[in-house]
Amino acid sequence: FTASLLLGTTLTISSNHWIMAWAGLEINTLAILPMISKSHHPRAVEAATKYFLTQATASALLLFSSMINAWQTGQWDITQLTNPTSCLILTSAIAMKLGLVPFHFWFPEVLQGTPLTTGLLLSTLMKFPPITLLYMTSPSLNPTVLTSMAILSTALGGWMGLNQTQIRKILAFSSISHLGWMTIIISYNPKLTLLNFYLYALMTTATFLTLHSTKALKLSTLMTTWTKAPALNAALLLTLLSLAGLPPLTGFLPKWLIIQELTKQDMA
Amino acid sequence: MAVAVVLLSGAPFHGGCCRHKVFLSLLGPLLSNSKLYSSYRRPGAEPKKKLSWQNADFSFKKSIDHLKTQLSLLTKETQDYLQGPGGHPLSQHVLEQTRVLWQFRSQEDLNKWVISSDVEIGGKSKVYIKLGRNNQAALLYGTLNTEVPRDGETKYSGYCSMRSRPAVGSFNRKKYYDWSNFNSLYLRVRGDGRPWMVNIYTDPYFSHQKDDLYSYFMFTRGGPYWEEIKIPFSKFFFSSRGRVQDNQHPVWLDKASFLTLGLTIGDKVDGPFQLEIDFIGLLNDRAHREEFAYETYDKN
Repeated sequence: FTASLLLGTTLTISSNHWIMAWAGLEINTLAILPMISKSHHPRAVEAATKYFLTQATASALLLFSSMINAWQTGQWDITQLTNPTSCLILTSAIAMKLGLVPFHFWFPEVLQGTPLTTGLLLSTLMKFPPITLLYMTSPSLNPTVLTSMAILSTALGGWMGLNQTQIRKILAFSSISHLGWMTIIISYNPKLTLLNFYLYALMTTATFLTLHSTKALKLSTLMTTWTKAPALNAALLLTLLSLAGLPPLTGFLPKWLIIQELTKQDMA
Repeated sequence: MAVAVVLLSGAPFHGGCCRHKVFLSLLGPLLSNSKLYSSYRRPGAEPKKKLSWQNADFSFKKSIDHLKTQLSLLTKETQDYLQGPGGHPLSQHVLEQTRVLWQFRSQEDLNKWVISSDVEIGGKSKVYIKLGRNNQAALLYGTLNTEVPRDGETKYSGYCSMRSRPAVGSFNRKKYYDWSNFNSLYLRVRGDGRPWMVNIYTDPYFSHQKDDLYSYFMFTRGGPYWEEIKIPFSKFFFSSRGRVQDNQHPVWLDKASFLTLGLTIGDKVDGPFQLEIDFIGLLNDRAHREEFAYETYDKN
């Protein structure tokens, strides 16, 4: 299944044709479903079902948008998405794939039902193809729609993550928030989106792997990890602060550059 | 060949008449007032169900009052959200090792529970609930009768249950409890020696999981002394539609919704029963290290 995930991701990010990109996304969706429901617990099966339904809808919308564009312009090139309706439908499809507000409701529940390693894949690898598609089509997309979705994602990701006690849900809301940051700058400087994504993927990988080694799934378990692995606990502290965007740490860099770019665009 | 041609040419003419009659006969059940489903009613079931739109109350004043109540609930929920998870500060959430869920001290506490028995399938058991002496406990009592209702399809009878009402927040939204900090259920009861069954319903999202239930037994002593029973969550076994499943898994407590405290179906003994319940709570028993009591099948 991991090989299928890599195949799907590679297929999407290296494609020029919409059908190849869609096929890669579908392979990704189907390959991760057995990994989500591996334990056969009802909650895991519920998470897999929710993931499948949302991703299938998003894939259908993506295909629909590419077909409208092909019908209007006569070509299937990903970078030549010019029809406005097509762009709007694609934006909603990608938002659904990524988990941007207002299509984010599935993300915390799906992440809560998955084991930690699969959750890591869901937060990092599964985000890569949609972000690539967003990067490739960014000149044609409506900046207002993207900006409003991004601001809502950042705000809601932060507020809804406040009172959570389950770590996977907190990381899901953190993901939603970071995706907001990535989306807000994509119309003006897409390379910053990619930088933000790479650094986010690195920090999230570190967080998930640390939590996996300490088997901490809720806050109260995390409170007692300092006795078992003090160095790892300290590293986790720094990684989480980095995810939050604290200045001397790496996570501050993309936020700083994004705000600088937005200021140049008279937005911040 | 000629016959076929004649038949075919005649078919539209005949078909028109027949089609009209067929159409009417198909529409017959819809046009008449009789129900499309069987009119058999189980002996204990209610006589006629009012349609939901017939129950609607269109009083303007009541709707304004209802809206005010819901908005005040929403305000309280927002204030609780600002306090911390579950309305308590985070330090309390992380440090607490016990929590009292239900305490029976007033009629309001009793109203949070629903009692039912096999009367709903036509049986003859009786169950009642009231506050005990000095309003210190709830007394669940009644008579169990295992006589099977004579409807030709029921084979077993004789059960009584007491279930908690699901928690609803503002605008009738479901509230979920986070019990992940605890690993045992703690009940202070005074029984009569009969075994009871404790059920947990986690209210899943999809309909095909709605019959899932996690259960375990509670054996009571008949003595005059109160009993404090601890049931670890690792002991609860999984069943669906009353059948214990082969694939067992532990109950996940991060989204528990304690809906049912089901009672007395194990002993099939006719006669009176009585159970006093002081409180039901949760406990984090640090001495209990078991993750799950039953063997799980290895898949993949």
